[in-house]
Formats: sequence, C-alpha cells, structure tokens
Amino acid sequence: MANRTLPRLLQAPAVIMLLLWMLVPLGMTLFFSFIRYVLNSLRRPEWTTPSIENWRGLGNYKYVLDAKDFWFAIQNSVFIVVSILIFTVILGLLIAVLVNRSFPGRGIVRVLLISPFFVMPAVNAVLWINMILDPVLGLNGLAVAGINDLVVGLRELPVIGQFFSMWPELKPISFRASQTSAYAVIMMVTWQWTPFAVLIFMTSLQSEDESQKEAAMLDGASAWSQFINLTVPHLARPIAIVVMIQSIFHLSLYAEIEIVSRGNGNKNLPYLIGEFTSNNIGAASATGIFAVILANIIAIFLLRMVGKSLMD
Amino acid sequence: MAAVAQTTPLSRILWPALAWTIALIFFFPIFWLVFTSFKTDADAVKPEHLFFFTPTLENYANMTENYDYWRFAINSVITATFATAFALAVGVPAAYAMAFDPSRHTKDILVWMLSTKMLPAAAVLYPMTFLTKNILGLFDTHFLIIVVLCLINLPIVIWMLFTYFKEIPKDIIEAGKMDGVSTWGEIKDILIPLAWGGIASTALLTFIFCWNEAYWTVRLTTIDAATLSKLIEGNRAPEGLFFGRLSAVSTAAVGPIVVLGWFCQKQLVQGLTFGAVK
Repeated sequence: MANRTLPRLLQAPAVIMLLLWMLVPLGMTLFFSFIRYVLNSLRRPEWTTPSIENWRGLGNYKYVLDAKDFWFAIQNSVFIVVSILIFTVILGLLIAVLVNRSFPGRGIVRVLLISPFFVMPAVNAVLWINMILDPVLGLNGLAVAGINDLVVGLRELPVIGQFFSMWPELKPISFRASQTSAYAVIMMVTWQWTPFAVLIFMTSLQSEDESQKEAAMLDGASAWSQFINLTVPHLARPIAIVVMIQSIFHLSLYAEIEIVSRGNGNKNLPYLIGEFTSNNIGAASATGIFAVILANIIAIFLLRMVGKSLMD
Repeated sequence: MAAVAQTTPLSRILWPALAWTIALIFFFPIFWLVFTSFKTDADAVKPEHLFFFTPTLENYANMTENYDYWRFAINSVITATFATAFALAVGVPAAYAMAFDPSRHTKDILVWMLSTKMLPAAAVLYPMTFLTKNILGLFDTHFLIIVVLCLINLPIVIWMLFTYFKEIPKDIIEAGKMDGVSTWGEIKDILIPLAWGGIASTALLTFIFCWNEAYWTVRLTTIDAATLSKLIEGNRAPEGLFFGRLSAVSTAAVGPIVVLGWFCQKQLVQGLTFGAVK
C-alpha cells in the first residue's frame, strides 16, 4: 500500500465535521430521552437541568407511546407521505411519458414544469393557503362564489331556470380545519414534487432501449401495452428511488405544516417534536428517536440501492 | 419511434396540446403569485379586479418599509454563499481523494456520509437549540447558519463532485504526479480546470438548497441571521389584507432561485438521486 496519509488528510475535515454533526446532537437526544427533563416546573425544579440523577429509563418512551398525539402524528405522517407518493408517482409517470416525445416548444414546457420545485417551501405554503385555497378571498372562494352567482343568474331564465332552482348553493371548503389542512399540505407538496418525479423519470426514459420498443411496435403491440410491458419495468428502479427519497424528505416535512396547520391539530412527527420541545424535552427526545428509527428503515433500502450503483 | 407514434394528425395536435396544458397548470400558481404582486392590497381581494386592474409597482417599492425585505435577503445571500463556498472548500479535496486514491473504505464512507443526510432534523431540534444557545452562544448568528447549511449539504456536495471527478481519466492526474506537481497544484491546475462544469453546477445546486432551507433557518434564528424563509414564515397569516404586498415579497424571495433552477435541471437529478439514476 502506497502512502495513505495524504488522501486521509484530505478527507479528514469532511469526515470529522459530519461525524460531530451526527454524533453530538444525536447523542444528546439519546441521553435526554432517558432522563426526566422539562424546561419549566414549579413543582419539581430539579427536573429543569439535564442530569443523570433524573434517570427515567424507558419512562419517556412509555409516556410517548401512551400519548394519543403520538399515534395520531404517526398515522398522519404516514397518511400525508403515502398520499403525496401516490400522486407524484402517477402524475410524474404520465407527464414524463407525455413530455418525452418531441413537439414544438418542448423546452419551454420543461422549464414551466420544473419551476415549482425551486419555490421555497415557506412561499409555497403561504401562496397556496392564502391566494389559492382561502375559502373567501382565494381563488377557491372566488370560484365557488362565481358559480353560485352564475346559478342564481340562470334561475331567471325561462324553462331551464326551473332546473337550476333545484341546485344547492355551493359552500367553499375551508382548508384550515385539521383534516382539510392535511389535504392542503398534500396538494401543495404534490405540486412541488411532481416536477421532481417527472425530471427523474424523463432522465431514465432517455436511456430506455429504443430498439426493443421498435421491435414491439413491429409486432403490433399497442402503445398501452408497450407502456405497461416495457416502459414501466424499465422505470422500476427510478420509481423506487423517487419513493424512497421523497419518503425521507416528507417524513420531516415541517414548514408547510407549521404555516398551514399551526394550532389546528393537524400534526406530523416533526411538528409533534416541536410541540414537546416547548416544555417536555424528555418526551421530545424519545419521539425524536422514534423518528430516527422510522427514517432509518427507509434509508437502509435507499442506501443499499445507491451503494450498489456507486462503483460502476 | 416518434415518427410512428405521431402518424395520425389527431395525436400530432392532441399530445402536445395536453403537454402544454399540464405545463401551464403547473406553472399557474407561480404566475398567479407574480400577477397578484402587481395589484394593490385592495384590488387583490376584489373579484371584479381578478383579471383586470391597473398594475402598480407600489408593493415592490414598499417592500423595505413593509417587511424589511433587504435585511432578510442579504442574510439569505450571505448564508447561502458562504455555506456553498465552505462546503466546496471541504468537499473538493475529499472528493478528489476518494475519486483518485480510493481505499477499501471509500464506498462505505460515501454511503455513511449520505446516511447523515437522512437523519430527521426534528430529532435533534432541542440539542441544537441547547448547544447553540447555552453552550456555544452562537444562536441566531450568521456563522451558525453557515455551518449548519454547509453540514446538511456536504454529503450531496461530496457525492456530486465524486461522480464528476470519476469521469476524469486517472492518467491525467497520474501524469501530474510524475511531473512532481504538488497535491495542491494538482487540484488547482489540473482538477479544477477539468471539472469546472461539474463544480459550478454543484455550487449552483447547493446554493439553491441553502436558499430554500426552511427548518434550521427558522428554528435557529430570531432576527439577526434570519433568512427569507423566516421572513415568509413569520408573515404566514395575512388574513387577506395584504395579498398584494405578500405576493411581491414572495416573488422577490423565489424569483432569482427559480430562474437559477432552470439552468441546473440536469444536475438536479444527479444531486438528488446521488447518481443512482442515469
């Protein structure tokens, strides 16, 4: 083996920085998750300093597992992530196949399609919840009011007016309630991440074996059967990667929930951790460890796939 | 393939039209944001001015007064620029060593680096607050945000640079070694000029990620180092009174980045899939 000092030295800063970044805060979280630690307590002031004296063992974990909020947050995290995944993958596939053909203005179409991905999450949330989804002042409210006005107008007409007088007055959906705000979050994140799926699928489609498709076409295979039998299997790997990367990103979804749902009960794991952090650090830390475990389950699969493609 | 699929005149018009429609639908919210930014706050909520109104630049002119926009924008520029530079300064030598002088452990180190990226930030929220507030005294400083942004992007930076560097023929670097060029000379005179495109797109993408980051920049700042994410997050509930001015400040916050993003679509795939999709 030749001199290994130099390459090690060159990698050292990066490795050390990342090692500290990973171990120090996570080690603290792990420690806090085993002790009683609150920020304010009049009754038990000794719990307000992190100390090994306040050892609680698995008590924080038990507390968290017994909390209704925790199970709701897990369920809601999974609901939000899975919904986003389904929408982005299906839309992404269809759009990628559509845009993969050549047609006039394809470059512009691509630019328009990718744009939402670069919008910062805070702006995405503020834009959707106010300007678009607000039940009174947003496009949502204005559209429903417009339809109602139209129906009222149509009622004046002879003969068919009778028909429209039976139409109920529509009420716009408010996206600030706890369940509907989860839908709002799903909508805005789907808008932002579908472009990502499109981009990845398109990159992958370009490496598809064209000769295979031509052969299939000569055999008289329909466009649909080509899509199902050739394109979808070819895209299996990119689909898996899109699913895993998005899972990791969306499990830690925060800004959108904070902006859209603050205080209305629609919470996911990161949001619940934020809530616990305002006082009960022990519980926040135990929840954090659960979040790490959840993310790791997905990350292991992703890292295996990425690791395999690494050296070729 | 394209020629066969587009034999019928119907499909020659139908599919492009559909693609255009979908693209316009996806772009619409951004268009609407920019469109609303030219309305006065009063016009922005009046149905009769939904499409027709007298455009005004007043919202942009008053951005400093209404939101102290430049303060946050400058913080965003400072933190994103330095974090990107810092990440490259640490990442280029590391990726260079990994690409041209790999050891048995290189692959494991790379995968491990990536795994740090997958830790949920919320899990270490309190320790980070505690460390920076009570122990290091760095809470709400530019330095802290720069370091944190650098750390969360470092795995992607190294990964991207590594895949670019691998494309460079080893012989060129070896030849440099034979001629007795120092390591620093090799990086500066051979590697950087050869991998310039890759380094530039890595920098561009890192800058975008830093600019849009919305967890640590919100939770670890109050005012001094607060970025545009924090500004927008702090004005999340305008109750409809300020749609015009809020649209203007939002447009100013995302505009430059969306345009930058148009130039690095290709790198985005590599940067976000860690080279696993080609």
